[in-house]
Amino acid sequence: MIPVNFDYESPSTLAEALKLLASREDAKVLAGGHSLLPAMKLRLAQPALLVDIGRIAGLSYIRESNDQILVGAMTTHADIASSKLLQRSSPLLSQAATQIGDTQVRNRGTIGGSLAQAHPGADYPAAVLALDAQIIAAGPSGERVIAATAFFVGMFTTALRPDEIITEVRVPKTENESVVYKKHHHPASGYAVVGVAVRLKVSGGKIESAALGLSGVSQNAYRATAVEKALRGKPVAAIREAAAHAAENIEALGDYYASAEYRKHLATVMTRRALEQAASGAAK
Amino acid sequence: MNEFSVIGKRIAMVDAAGKTTGAGKYTDDLSVPGMLVGKILHSPYPHARIKRIATSRAAKLDGVVAVVTGKDARNPYGILPVGHDEHALALDKVRYVGDNVACVAAVSETIAEKALELIDVEYELLPGYFDPEESMKAQTDLIHDNKPHNIEKDYHHVFGDPDKALAEADCVMEGRFIANEVTHAAMEPHSTLAAFEIDSQTGKPGRLTVWSSTQVPYYLQHKLSLVLEMPMAQIRVIKPLVGGGFGGKSEVIPLEIIAAIAARAARAPVKITYTREEVFWAHRGRPRTIIDLKTGVKKDGTITAVKARVVQDGGGYCSYGVVTILYSGALLGALYDIPNIGYDGYRVLTNKPACGAMRGHGTVNVRFAFESQLDEIALKLNLDPAEIRRRNLLKPPCVTVNNLRVQSYGLPECIEQVVERSKWRERKGKLSRGRGLGIACSHYVSGAANSIIRSDMPHSTVNIKIDRDGGVVVYTGTSEIGQGSDTMTAQVAAEVLGCSLGRVKIVAADTDLTPIDIGSYSSRVTFMAGNATLRAAEEVKKQIALAAARKMDCAPEELVFRDDLIVRGDDFGKGFAGEGARATQSEASVSGHVEGQILRGSLQQKRKDEGPKDQMTFEEAVVAAIDSHGALTGTGSYAPPLEARGGKHKGAGVGPSPAYSYSAQVAEVTVDEETGEVTVHKVWAAHDCGRALNPVSVEGQIIGSVWMGMGQALTEEMVWKDGMLMNPGMLEYRSPSSVESPEVEPIIVESIDPEGPFGAKECSEGSLAATIPAISNAIYDAVGIRLHECPFTPERVLAALRALKKSKHINLTEGVDPAAPTRFREHGGALCFRGKGPERHALDPGRREATVEAGGDD
Ligand SMILES: Cc1cc2nc3c(=O)[nH]c(=O)nc-3n(C[C@H](O)[C@H](O)[C@H](O)COP(=O)(O)OP(=O)(O)OC[C@H]3O[C@@H](n4cnc5c(N)ncnc54)[C@H](O)[C@@H]3O)c2cc1C
Repeated sequence: MIPVNFDYESPSTLAEALKLLASREDAKVLAGGHSLLPAMKLRLAQPALLVDIGRIAGLSYIRESNDQILVGAMTTHADIASSKLLQRSSPLLSQAATQIGDTQVRNRGTIGGSLAQAHPGADYPAAVLALDAQIIAAGPSGERVIAATAFFVGMFTTALRPDEIITEVRVPKTENESVVYKKHHHPASGYAVVGVAVRLKVSGGKIESAALGLSGVSQNAYRATAVEKALRGKPVAAIREAAAHAAENIEALGDYYASAEYRKHLATVMTRRALEQAASGAAK
Repeated sequence: MNEFSVIGKRIAMVDAAGKTTGAGKYTDDLSVPGMLVGKILHSPYPHARIKRIATSRAAKLDGVVAVVTGKDARNPYGILPVGHDEHALALDKVRYVGDNVACVAAVSETIAEKALELIDVEYELLPGYFDPEESMKAQTDLIHDNKPHNIEKDYHHVFGDPDKALAEADCVMEGRFIANEVTHAAMEPHSTLAAFEIDSQTGKPGRLTVWSSTQVPYYLQHKLSLVLEMPMAQIRVIKPLVGGGFGGKSEVIPLEIIAAIAARAARAPVKITYTREEVFWAHRGRPRTIIDLKTGVKKDGTITAVKARVVQDGGGYCSYGVVTILYSGALLGALYDIPNIGYDGYRVLTNKPACGAMRGHGTVNVRFAFESQLDEIALKLNLDPAEIRRRNLLKPPCVTVNNLRVQSYGLPECIEQVVERSKWRERKGKLSRGRGLGIACSHYVSGAANSIIRSDMPHSTVNIKIDRDGGVVVYTGTSEIGQGSDTMTAQVAAEVLGCSLGRVKIVAADTDLTPIDIGSYSSRVTFMAGNATLRAAEEVKKQIALAAARKMDCAPEELVFRDDLIVRGDDFGKGFAGEGARATQSEASVSGHVEGQILRGSLQQKRKDEGPKDQMTFEEAVVAAIDSHGALTGTGSYAPPLEARGGKHKGAGVGPSPAYSYSAQVAEVTVDEETGEVTVHKVWAAHDCGRALNPVSVEGQIIGSVWMGMGQALTEEMVWKDGMLMNPGMLEYRSPSSVESPEVEPIIVESIDPEGPFGAKECSEGSLAATIPAISNAIYDAVGIRLHECPFTPERVLAALRALKKSKHINLTEGVDPAAPTRFREHGGALCFRGKGPERHALDPGRREATVEAGGDD
């Protein structure tokens, strides 16, 4: 199918883009187009105006600022996957990016687009949750910082307002921690049936801190707080038992590929494996 | 020196350049002046009567040229003469979600799609039948009025005395196997362009030309003639490049007829290209199949009897169904020596897209069951799985109990090869926990000995014409669909004529130019069209030899044609300067011009000057032949011999083939016991193709078969809910690609068939059927679970593992046990893009849920 008719604008400044976005109720931001355009072709999305933010200079970058790495919203998955800076200082994001879709998707898709889309099986959401990232949104009345933990509200639903544009994602440096992203790919779409992002700090055989984000399991990505609690201050051997809480109190999705029950099971197995890998990385 | 100079070489396909550079033209690449776009309105209901169709609003839309419905072409058709149950556009009833209701021809795709929304159809809903065993009980609201109990066809065959043999067997194994539905997923979606000429006498639409992505141009010409009520002579079907068929283009697909109906109404050319979703609806894939299988053996493992009851979920129309259900029974024979066979086959209609022919037509699902059960028996008798297969080999030449004639039989060597190369003896059963090896065998026909159109006509005819400058043109009706038929044809012609491959040009699959050939399906082309090419080439060669013999002062029989030279037999070998020299020589001789002079003229001159010759170039000999009796042409045809055509019982027509291919495979897998994921690491695949005319092609076909088998074994499954396909797209339905390909080691076994062209037979379907059971048997070896339902998805594998360990039970949909499934079932729904397009499925229960659940911000 082909999309219904729509108008198209490609402003060169953020201010202009914000104005255009606010000008019509059914306007939508276009970034890499790898979620929006398929949805439009299926007519699941029928925006009347597309505001292409790809021509705005200065939205694609990865740079250091004190103890954070700043990633521009228009930075592609491929750039994030191959960034030396991220690989060195905050590799979780790169790990997640390498596992997104295929080469074409990684070359076009952007981190801003992926976060705004909030697909339940997307990879970044798990990572930004585990990292306690900050998502910067620009709106008609200025800029605000949204904590990743407050960002994902439901299936395809975020804390972003319709007239806001994500400009940047800020992640902490994790040089003293061990990070792992593990994923069970859907065989056809490539999205995560379950994706587990782990950030672990171990010292003297004890787990000092743990943060876990899970994608794919339910309507939206979430922090596995029960697992984190069960790990804090415990020896590494506590991992097996703690991982069993990965999908506790979570209403899991079920589909023909994986039932809710299977997804929950997978969540605990993948969580344990991610934690074990992180712990063995930390031990080195 | 080699026995052959063209065949047996690893050569690039003759049509490779166009495909790899993008210069090649597929149907959708074509465009003719004034061409319109056709779009089809599909049924949103699985089973309904059409009360009324109002097209006037659509017809009035600016840019719409014609709107056609079932009334515009009332004649039914179907690929089988016994199954004329389809209308390209529904006349009174729709029988599956996606059935064709109307078509708009408009100046743009956008307008055509908009117009579809303006067509008002009033339906009266009828109860739908989705489970074949339920459907068989139907009394009312039948899918086709003339098919009681919705049974398209049932067959009950008894060969020997299976009941007695089973009663006397030392060991009997019984079980139900289920294979879920899969589709071809060819890379190129179906596309058809239809254009009428205006008749000069009447001013009305006259001759019709149809370019279409088809495996069967002549069947298409025939069915178009039937539906449009036009003589076949007024219809020309041309097959451009085709991007894969696998059986999905081996019959007439609705769009091919609809495009012509629309073009006639619009008085303008119309092109229709299916979307991927429409390709899934057009389907004609491998049906969901229930197989109840019972095998009896003696203590030593020799099989004494097999009984099978097979139920196929055929979808809303007959399609190739009658043939499919017959193959499922017939191909119980001709692989192993089985003296008693009982078969009950039911092809059942359901309200889903029609199933048809798909690579390994009819044999794949039953082979999965059989080879799995054979392993179960081997385990019970404490026999090595490779050994039990060895103990049941045929002893050809022979005729099986169900009247299949077997001559060449490379199965023993196939088994030895895979056993040897996989280090089966040292490694089977001895790998680390979670890792295993499995073996399975399969076979397939090299074309059907009896064509589906009952007639005595040869199945293939080929014409050859040779020009004065030595250019060879082969006219063949076979469809190159990526399998390499053009290359095979060129090789066979060049080998027989002793000319270089570069001289041969193939003109194929154009009903105006090429003699009739029934098409590219059931792996018939190399065997049948190859033989026809061989005979046509021999006929022309005879004419050349006569002329050359006169010039060379010898008998024609003394001449040897090879490498663009013709020499006397006793000089054989002397005239050949080796391969390098030959290449340059032939390049020079086809160039045509020498110092501003036409080469063939100068040659003639030289010949007159010099008197009798010791040898002639191919080109000189061709000129001599044309000078003595005019244009050089030859015809050859092939009809399967009577002895290969099988028995006399009802349904005996399907199964017999002039030759069978044989395969054996060993798969090595690991199973993740925590997640249920199966990884295939390596497949050793040996295939007896008679003779490998082009070994790279054969290897490609073996590897492709393994991939496709692996897809059905692990990931591919069409999932239904209330008759609606839940995964009609490549983001939801996974065919394996190179990304998840295991290492495949293709092993060519050459049994040299006595009747095949140079001994060649089938190589593109037979291997597929061994892959699924080889993987299943390897899973058993790895973790001890016997899976009775494919695909072996992680969830099913995990459920079976838990059942084995009696640990926490996973409740699969409708409580099915993957180790002992009893019936088909439907699943939940897809996570994303669920029940696409509300305008098509507004009343579908699956769709209503989807809007509620996935109704986020987009
Ligand atoms: C074949 C395929 C496979 C895929 N596999 C995966 C996978 O494995 N894992 C995965 O995580 N993803 C996967 N994706 C999705 C892919 O990562 C998308 O690129 C991503 O989800 C959206 O990014 P985009 O830049 O393409 O956004 P777009 O498609 O342009 O936009 C998506 C949505 O976000 C909004 N938007 C975009 N940018 C902004 C912004 N800066 N501020 C506010 N709103 C914005 C748009 O209005 C739209 O609603 C896959 C996609 C495809 C086509």
